[in-house]
Amino acid sequence: MFKPSPTTRLILHLANLMVIVFILLPLVAVFIGAIQSEKSLQADTRRVLPAEVTADNFVVILTKGEQKGRIFDQATYLPENIKSFYAAFANSAIVSVSVTLLTLLFGSLSAYTIARQRFRWTLFLMQANIVARFVPVIVLMIPLYVVMRSFGALNSLSGVIVAETGFLLPYAILILAPYFDTIPAELEEAARIDGCSRLRAFIYIVIPLATPALAACGVIIFIISWHELLIPLILNARPDFMTLPVVIASLVGDVHVFFNLMMAICLLALAPTVVLVALLQKYIVEGLAAGAVKG
Amino acid sequence: MNVPTLLLLGAVLAYPVIYAGYLSFHRVGLAQLRRGEFAFSGWDNYSRVLEDPLFWTALKNTLIFTAVTVTSEIVLAVAIALLINQTSVWTSRVTRFLILLPYAVPPIANGLIWAFMYSFQFGFLNRLLFATGLVHDPVNWSGNPDTALYAVAVPYVWRTLPFAIILVHAALQGIPRELYEQAAIDGANAWHRFRRITMPMLRQIIAIILILRTAFAFAVFEEILAITQGGPGDATWVAAWYSYKITFAPPNNFGMGSASAYILALMIGAIALVYMRFIYRRVTL
Repeated sequence: MFKPSPTTRLILHLANLMVIVFILLPLVAVFIGAIQSEKSLQADTRRVLPAEVTADNFVVILTKGEQKGRIFDQATYLPENIKSFYAAFANSAIVSVSVTLLTLLFGSLSAYTIARQRFRWTLFLMQANIVARFVPVIVLMIPLYVVMRSFGALNSLSGVIVAETGFLLPYAILILAPYFDTIPAELEEAARIDGCSRLRAFIYIVIPLATPALAACGVIIFIISWHELLIPLILNARPDFMTLPVVIASLVGDVHVFFNLMMAICLLALAPTVVLVALLQKYIVEGLAAGAVKG
Repeated sequence: MNVPTLLLLGAVLAYPVIYAGYLSFHRVGLAQLRRGEFAFSGWDNYSRVLEDPLFWTALKNTLIFTAVTVTSEIVLAVAIALLINQTSVWTSRVTRFLILLPYAVPPIANGLIWAFMYSFQFGFLNRLLFATGLVHDPVNWSGNPDTALYAVAVPYVWRTLPFAIILVHAALQGIPRELYEQAAIDGANAWHRFRRITMPMLRQIIAIILILRTAFAFAVFEEILAITQGGPGDATWVAAWYSYKITFAPPNNFGMGSASAYILALMIGAIALVYMRFIYRRVTL
């Protein structure tokens, strides 16, 4: 709209360069850390790029510690949790997919009633969801641990799935409700006159129209669920039921794990959501904006 | 159609919040958990928390952390949103494409990555500074009690900034172009246009970011766990870390943990009420 002058353009380029460096710096660090050996990290502590590049860190993780590769030749100890990478990855996938589907199912039903039926209780439900979004996980974790312990539901994926679904449902409703509100009610009314039940009208008319919003909400919930640490950390202490963030957290303070291995597992854990964000950027942007301002 | 939602909200949110209140008035340790009997102890847990100097340190650190992260996020978000709004500059389009990347990084992985960046002996930042000749001795970023809290604040800002930028950028695109064109015709320079048009139009979204980010920064946890574990000394003990350690590290005082978590929740609850009453726009409902 306003053509920047050459000097302004130069300043803008420099500013962009600074922002880009800031965004990429940690990602460059995790990559460089992951492609070298412990020895090369320790040999020259002033060197940025490694003297030699290796994929052994990934190999040892992806083969459950069976193929140690050259750089782990002399390593006598590998943390058990490194070996359970596949199990943790699968657990994370099961939890995130289940949480996303359940949240979309329950969330869209509730968001729809909030958008369509203006009663005191639906307004109250909306307000409850807004407040619920602020509840910090740590407040829930202590009683959830006590309750799940007494039910014997600790160390199970379903416990984590239920807890995360309940925790993320309010956010999903906040993202979906404003979108359902923009779908004209006339479409369903026409269908209902033709003898369609409200549920059928919802499934066959509203849901197809709301696909973009469901995609936006789904990808955001998936990402948050993939990242969630405290809920599975506290509920699941047994290695069989750990999710990826829990495995990563268990490496903190393990004196036998050096940065090269840590960075490799971090890179493997962040790859799926980075791909999602790169592919579905548009939906995430819309979902984030909808969940924060509209209602 | 709301039955599953209500059941889940009841089971996972409402009941635990009430039960946490119950726990906070009882003596609950591992022995009591095994027996399943909790003795009523009145305000005992709360007075023990409030008499604990470590709790006040944690609270002070939380307030500093929140003030630093939220202020820098808002300033950076407005600046970067304006920057990526310059669609005629090609580097701005690159930035805009990359801006969401930190949102994809799991918080705990982010913490570990920055632990590697900050490492005193082997850290990536020190390597970069050596290579560029900016320092001659390694800098102890997260191991120095005076800088540790700020060292943890940077990764937190890095990870949560995309959310703020996206919101500001969305609001910027909602400002009618005519306003700027009219102002330019009237002879307003860029600074005037920013002060008189952009800022007033962004006021609401800034208030939203301020409140949301304040509430979430109050409960920061993952970066603390990965980078400093509360250290050095008590320099980075924050409120959520306090509740976590009191509860899940020996001697596992669940009652005191609940009480401290409840104090944190009440503070965040006050922020949530302000958000709901004054800011969350009820356009149609």
